[in-house]
Amino acid sequence: MTKYIRSAVSSIALLALSAGAATSAECTNEGWNKVMERGKVVVGVKADYKPWGYRDENGNLVGMEIDMAQDVANTLGVELELVPVQSSNRMQFLEQGRIDMMIATMSDRADRREIVGIPGPNYYTSGTNIMSPTALGFTQWEDLRGRKVCGKQGAFYNQIVEERYGVEIVAFTGNAEAKQALRDRKCVAWVYDDSSIGSDLASGNWDEFEMPLMSEDDNPWGLAVPLDEVNCIFGQFMSGMQYNWHRSGRLIELEAKWGIKPTEYLKIQGERHSDWLQ
Amino acid sequence: MRRIPGVTVPARGGMAVLKPFDVHRHVPDGYVMTRWLASLPWWSPFLVLSVMAIWPQIPLAQGRYGTGEAFGALWRWMPFLIKSGFLFNVLISVLAMAIGTVAGAMLGLAQISLYRPVRVFAWFFTQLFRNSPWLVLLFIVLLAFPFEVTLFGASVRIPDWVKGVFGLSLPIMANISEVVRGAVLSVPSAQWEAAESLAFTRRQVLWQVILPQCYKRMLPPWMNWYAILAMATPLCSLLGIEELITLSRQAMEAEDNHPELLVPFFGFALLLFFIYCYPIARWTIHLERKFAVKL
Repeated sequence: MTKYIRSAVSSIALLALSAGAATSAECTNEGWNKVMERGKVVVGVKADYKPWGYRDENGNLVGMEIDMAQDVANTLGVELELVPVQSSNRMQFLEQGRIDMMIATMSDRADRREIVGIPGPNYYTSGTNIMSPTALGFTQWEDLRGRKVCGKQGAFYNQIVEERYGVEIVAFTGNAEAKQALRDRKCVAWVYDDSSIGSDLASGNWDEFEMPLMSEDDNPWGLAVPLDEVNCIFGQFMSGMQYNWHRSGRLIELEAKWGIKPTEYLKIQGERHSDWLQ
Repeated sequence: MRRIPGVTVPARGGMAVLKPFDVHRHVPDGYVMTRWLASLPWWSPFLVLSVMAIWPQIPLAQGRYGTGEAFGALWRWMPFLIKSGFLFNVLISVLAMAIGTVAGAMLGLAQISLYRPVRVFAWFFTQLFRNSPWLVLLFIVLLAFPFEVTLFGASVRIPDWVKGVFGLSLPIMANISEVVRGAVLSVPSAQWEAAESLAFTRRQVLWQVILPQCYKRMLPPWMNWYAILAMATPLCSLLGIEELITLSRQAMEAEDNHPELLVPFFGFALLLFFIYCYPIARWTIHLERKFAVKL
């Protein structure tokens, strides 16, 4: 009896395996075809990450990534629908098919590539740093061991910083809440993207604060398409979009338009992908 | 003068006397929140807000971005926050109340059914949804239901806020079920007996004799639940539904996340909910007193 059960189980497992292999090998292009059929691409973007994706006073979504999404829709020749996503739900939205693709300030991580399809080349990069009171005089990441540090929910580096330096992360849903907690001395530092902290410090409202450490985990950002379409039309098309954005200098142009500090990364990528005839 | 213990002089034994016990003062009646809200003077949130507006200016006066700028930002965002945010909360609450009332009325009548399986079934679902945290119900509905359903070959997308409405209507349904059951049972049994002696069927008794007497006593608890529901709609912001709190956060992001924005923006949300729920609470308590059974 046990033998029969065992063979039945193994044959089911084999069937499941072969079925899995078959679907991953051939392209159904389901998501791509859906976009073409309805003549509209639904792109997940941030509504809470200035200047990448945020709202203007009339409630419209604007920002650098929204401009990129518009480029995609124009190239496809379809209408654009924007769906605001959050760091905590963006991959689920794509998995469930609520959005066709996502350009949402997402860092390109190995564990995320198992959930969503991230085609190269990456369009931007940022590192992790902290903002802390100058009076505390931090000089290295190790100084934070055992202290409370404020963070943003859904950021991948929360866990890294916790494991590597033994800090205690207090995560908030909004940046304003986290920064208020920093002011209220509920934590000794605010861990976030270095580019965002840089613009805060430049605004002149954080005079008694500094960004004292070396940026860590410089991590390229990736846009995402459904996982099983990353090697099919959709993924290939988005690779082409990103390649041409780098080649034409469009991203550097957008960076300037939205007042983002010019990054070395975009310059290097622009040179790497440059047209040899020009 | 004669010494009469207990009359002209204190009683000697000091025997305990059972004083009249006011049950209603010692038993929570389900109106705790509404009664508290209705007991506030109308100007209380304005007072709280003005104190909060002045307070942070003192220690943080040296910062370049002050409370003045923050209130300026709020002024610019107000039309959007009211039109796209708060009215959406109102819409969610109205729809959830409508669904919850219809479903709750059916469930409540099922709870007094003559058939035991129906009664047990209705009792189980009433207790299940009445005693579950609202947020848990919301998450289950949001994650368990598909985002798209195919009806007759056409795929219809179910937006998140529809799921939010459905999720909020579940606890409302269960509580309205109890309201209906309680109201029906509160009608004196002589009414049932009198109607039955006139050869009314059970359905006729319920629809023509009992329920008409229930509407009045169901109205205050029903409004009480509406006020609670309206105040619970910001829970939807945790699911990413674009209501007042979510949009307030996004507005603060667009204004560069200055911590000075927190008090004006969330204070404004508080004010909107107060302005909406306060009259409902006052009116509920007024009706509750008016319709109270006089003993």
